[in-house]
Amino acid sequence: MKFDRSFFASTNGRIAGAFAVAILLHVVGTLLIPGYSAPFAIRAILVLAALLAVASIGQTLVVILGGIDLSIPFVIGFANVVAAQLYGQGWNFVLVCAVVGVLAVLIGGLNGLISRGLNIHPLIVTLGIGMIVQGLVLLWTKGFPSGSAPPAVSAFVSIGGSVGPLPVPWLVPCVAVLTALIVLVLARTPYGRRLYALGSNPGAAPLALIDPVKMWVVTYAASAFFAATAGVLLLGFTGSAYGDVGQPYLFQTIAAVVVGGAALVGGRGSYLGTIAGVLVLTEINTLLIGLGFQPAAVQAALGLIIVLLVSLYGRERHVSTTI
Amino acid sequence: MIGSLIRNAGFALILLVVLLAGNLLLNPARFHPAAWGTLIGLAAPLIGAAAASAPVILAGRGGIDISVGPLMGFVNAIVIQALFLKAGISSPWIILPAALLVGAAVGAANGFMATVLRIQPIVATLGTYLILVGVTLTILPAPIGPAPVWLKAMAGPISILPLAAIFVFWWLVHQTPYYDQLMAVGSDDRAAYTAGVPVTKVRFIAYVMTGMLAAVAGLMLTALIGSADPNVGPTYTLIAIAAVALGGVSLAGGKGGLAGAAIGAIDIFLLQSLLTAFNVSTYVLQVAYGTILVAAVMLTAVQERLSARRAA
Repeated sequence: MKFDRSFFASTNGRIAGAFAVAILLHVVGTLLIPGYSAPFAIRAILVLAALLAVASIGQTLVVILGGIDLSIPFVIGFANVVAAQLYGQGWNFVLVCAVVGVLAVLIGGLNGLISRGLNIHPLIVTLGIGMIVQGLVLLWTKGFPSGSAPPAVSAFVSIGGSVGPLPVPWLVPCVAVLTALIVLVLARTPYGRRLYALGSNPGAAPLALIDPVKMWVVTYAASAFFAATAGVLLLGFTGSAYGDVGQPYLFQTIAAVVVGGAALVGGRGSYLGTIAGVLVLTEINTLLIGLGFQPAAVQAALGLIIVLLVSLYGRERHVSTTI
Repeated sequence: MIGSLIRNAGFALILLVVLLAGNLLLNPARFHPAAWGTLIGLAAPLIGAAAASAPVILAGRGGIDISVGPLMGFVNAIVIQALFLKAGISSPWIILPAALLVGAAVGAANGFMATVLRIQPIVATLGTYLILVGVTLTILPAPIGPAPVWLKAMAGPISILPLAAIFVFWWLVHQTPYYDQLMAVGSDDRAAYTAGVPVTKVRFIAYVMTGMLAAVAGLMLTALIGSADPNVGPTYTLIAIAAVALGGVSLAGGKGGLAGAAIGAIDIFLLQSLLTAFNVSTYVLQVAYGTILVAAVMLTAVQERLSARRAA
């Protein structure tokens, strides 16, 4: 039990550290940029962070499992374009969501099945499947996606929206509830236990009657499902379909997960940590753009900050301590 | 060496023969023997990028360098914008060492982060990726030309020279004890450490080699496009890693080599030519591309499983 306690203490330490960095960045922003803490600016930060948080759910789960999902940006683009296209053709939007969700689950399940079933590195599998998905979508739309977002989705994510007296759109409280659910699933359900067990020791977990292939299929399917959800939400956010809308999320989801204290070797990480990572990334982005940096410089600074943060608290063990 | 190449990259070799035959039949004009020099020039940057990606992957424990593509773009921008246009330097005796030095420095930075600071390689090199893309776009906001004459001349048949240099270099590495240490660390770093192999140093050197090879790939890219373009380099990153995997290099480390990676890259290049010969849209190209990539790694895995069963 002693090992267990120190394990959670260190994980909690990483999460607290990441939250502290996010708050620090916000204080710096408020001091340097007039209007940084204005209600509208905070609402914008919350909405952007909530969108990234949804896209990062799947990456968190697969990273705990010891994998990685590079198909997330492609699935986001797929959901974004297909939802707009079908809705534009007069489909009922609930039906559209169901079709997109089922297809996404199939894509993700295939990722997990090939990666684990044949023991191929998920980096290559998810990249290949992602390219196929993007190519098929481009073929179907001939490169010119049409259609638009239903007003309900737009209102759900609009920065100007409000929930009763709360001046934030429905997206923000919903993501808060979703966060609580995911944390609960990871900590209190057999699925969560199996996920950590398989991630920390892929050799021993099957001996505890955990079916690795099933876990990988389910987890990658969940990853694709949440990526598709993010794609539909982004459709509401931008108003029109765009196949490459997910591209920034490729590295941002990985960065959020890692800044939040997860180890890419598996078995370690938490969704609360990812939320902290998401807030850190959103704050850095907003801060640097607010300071008048060019997009290229923002990107360079983002890279530098990710490396600095991870070198502070995300270091791996030396090989001599693993013997 | 040949035996292990066939064992690891067997499927990629078969694919190579099939694709080459397909190209020769369907695309005789483009694949006329007289045009092979041009073709090698076209394929050279991708072969270089794949070869560059291989050493860190061979070093194992999640070793990967996703900054290879942006580093190629950075070298491209430095050589043309800073050295040739701003400083007026065109001598290969300055440009070549300068490019290799930039590559080695970036590789050393990656190696320091991944092995001494022990940041997960994909995160460390993601940081480098973002920094290099940002810096490249800052010093070179838009494409600019031209390239020095001698460098542009490297685009055609002569591009076999830098490629040969890469493989002579790797062959020399093969002759040193370092090679065995690298493979040992890649297959089982704990056992290697217990046996007294300096794991950190071996991995660090792998990152420096990757950086220098990426610089060579960047020069070949510069020769091919004959100018500087901030947007071309990063596109090589993921294709190069795909080529490495296709060529039988295990992403878990310790298995494969640069020859396999190069064959994987040639496969991808031939596949692109073949699909272009069919005059299909770029969308079909992308679907076929992804399908073949997934199918190839699946077949490799199945083949491995069968040969393992036969051995047992």
